Amino acid sequence: MIRFDRVGKRYPNGHDALGELSFELGAGEMAFVTGHSGAGKSTLLRLVALLERPTRGQVTVNGRNLSAVRRRGIARVRRGVGMVFQDHRLLLDRSVFDNVALPLVIAGTPREEMAKRVRAALDKVGLLDREKSAPSMLSAGEQQRVGIARAIVAKPPVLIADEPTGNLDPQLAAEIMALFGEFEQVGTTVLVASHDLPLVKRMGKRVLVLDHGKLIDDFRP
Amino acid sequence: MNRRIEKNRAKPATPEARTKFSLRAWREQHLYSLFSSLGRLAARPWATALTLAVLGFALALPILFGLLLDNARGLAGNVGEASSISAFLKPGTKADEAQAFATRLRARADVAGVGVKTPEQGLDEFRERSGFAEALKVLHYNPLPPVLIVEPRGDAEALVAQLRGEALVDQVQYDAQWRQRLNAILGLAQRGAQVLAGLLALAALLVIGNTVRLDIAGRSEEIAVMQLLGAEAGFVRRPFLYSGFWYGTFAGMLSLMLIVIVQFILAAPLARLAAVYDHAFVVHGLGVVQMLAVLAAAAAIGWLGAFLAASRHIALGQPR
Repeated sequence: MIRFDRVGKRYPNGHDALGELSFELGAGEMAFVTGHSGAGKSTLLRLVALLERPTRGQVTVNGRNLSAVRRRGIARVRRGVGMVFQDHRLLLDRSVFDNVALPLVIAGTPREEMAKRVRAALDKVGLLDREKSAPSMLSAGEQQRVGIARAIVAKPPVLIADEPTGNLDPQLAAEIMALFGEFEQVGTTVLVASHDLPLVKRMGKRVLVLDHGKLIDDFRP
Repeated sequence: MNRRIEKNRAKPATPEARTKFSLRAWREQHLYSLFSSLGRLAARPWATALTLAVLGFALALPILFGLLLDNARGLAGNVGEASSISAFLKPGTKADEAQAFATRLRARADVAGVGVKTPEQGLDEFRERSGFAEALKVLHYNPLPPVLIVEPRGDAEALVAQLRGEALVDQVQYDAQWRQRLNAILGLAQRGAQVLAGLLALAALLVIGNTVRLDIAGRSEEIAVMQLLGAEAGFVRRPFLYSGFWYGTFAGMLSLMLIVIVQFILAAPLARLAAVYDHAFVVHGLGVVQMLAVLAAAAAIGWLGAFLAASRHIALGQPR
C-alpha cells in the first residue's frame, strides 16, 4: 500500500533529508515512524502525500507509482491519503461540521450523504455533539480529533499523521494514538510520525526508526 | 485493497450512474462556489462597496460618452442629406429666370441634377419644419427667394466658387463642407470614446484582478488546506472566478444605475431643448439589449480578471 524503493530527497538548499530509504507497508497495516527531529520523518510523510517529489528512487502509494503522476494528477493522489497535522490546520472561520465536510465537498459528495458521513466521522472521534461549534471553542485534544475526523471522512485507503500528539499532554496523546489504532482495524493503512518513543512502544505496532534520513531500525515491540 | 473500504467509497458502478453522479457533483460544487463567493463579498460590505463603486464609475464613463456621441450623430443626421449645394437667388428673381438658370447649370459636366424650389414651396417647407408657423402668418408677403438645389458630380469646390460669382445668385450654402468637418470631429470623438472604453475596461480588469489577488492572499491558509486535502486547481480557483463574476455583474448594474440617474437628471433640460427645436430630434438612452450587453461585458471582464489573478497565484507552492 505504501512502498519506498531506494528513495532519496535532497532539498534545494543542499540538505539531504532522506537517503536510500526502502520499506513497504501492507494494506491495512499500521506503523510508526520515529527518530529525533531532523531525522526525515516529515519528509517521508510529505513524499507519501506528494507534497514533495523525491530526488531519487520511487514511492508507490495505493498501487500508484508517484513519479508517474503528473502535476494535474496530484490532487487525485492526495484524495486517497488522509492527512493529520501537528497543528491540526482547521479553518477557524468555519464550524466543526464544515471543516470535517471539506474533503467531501472537494470530492463532490451529494449533500444528504455528506451530512451522514460527517456525523459518522464525528461520532467516531467522540465529538458528535460539537458539530456546530467553532474550532477555536474546542480544547487542543478536541481540535486534533476534528482534524482526524476530517482526515477519515472520505474513507481514504491511507492515513498519515505528522506528530499528531506533539501539542498534547500524555493522557490525551495516548487517547489520540489509540484512535489511530482503531482505523487500522477497519483496513486503513496508517503511518504516524512521532518522536514520543515510549508512547509508540506502548502501542505495540511496527516501528520504523530514522536517523539522518536513513532507516536504522524496523521492529515490532 | 480492503473489500470493506472499496464498498464504502460510494462510487457507482455503471457508466451511466457515474455520469449522473459526476454531473450532480459538478452542479453541487458550482452552486457551493456561487453562493459561498457571494457570501464572502457580503461579509465585507464596505470593501466590496468601495471596489464596486470604482468599477461602476469606470464602466459608466465610456458608456455615457458613447451615448452622448450617438445622440450627437443622430442630431447631425437630422440636418439633412447634404451633399447638395443650395444656391439662394436674389430676391425678386422671376420663376422663368430661375428655370433658365437651372437648365444652363444642368448642361455642365460637374452637375448631376438641379432642382428648383419656388418661394411658395420654400414657405410651405419652412412652415412644416420650423416652429415659426404662427409667426409666418403675421407676414403679408413671402420674403423667401427661389432656391436652386444643385447636386454636384465629383468635386464641388469649383462649382461652388462659380455659383458664388453668378449675377443671379445671392448666397451659396454648401452643407457638405461643414458636415464633413462635423463628421470628422464626431469620428475622432468616437474613436476617443472607444480608446477610453478600452482603457477603462482594462482598468476594471486590473482592479478586479488585484482585488481577487488580495482575496487569495488573505485566504492562503484555506487554499493550502484545500490543496492538502486533494482539491483540484479548478475547485480552488472556482470561488474566486465567481467572486470576479459577481464583482463584474454588480459593477455593471451599478454603472447602469449611474447612467439611468444621469439620464434622469438630464431629461428635463433635454426635453426643453427638444421642444425649442419643435421635437426635430429624439434623445435616446440605452435599450434593453444594450443594457444586457453591458452586464454581459462587465461579468466577462470580472471573470477574466479573476481568472488571470487566480491562475497565477494558486499554482504557486505546488510541486511540479
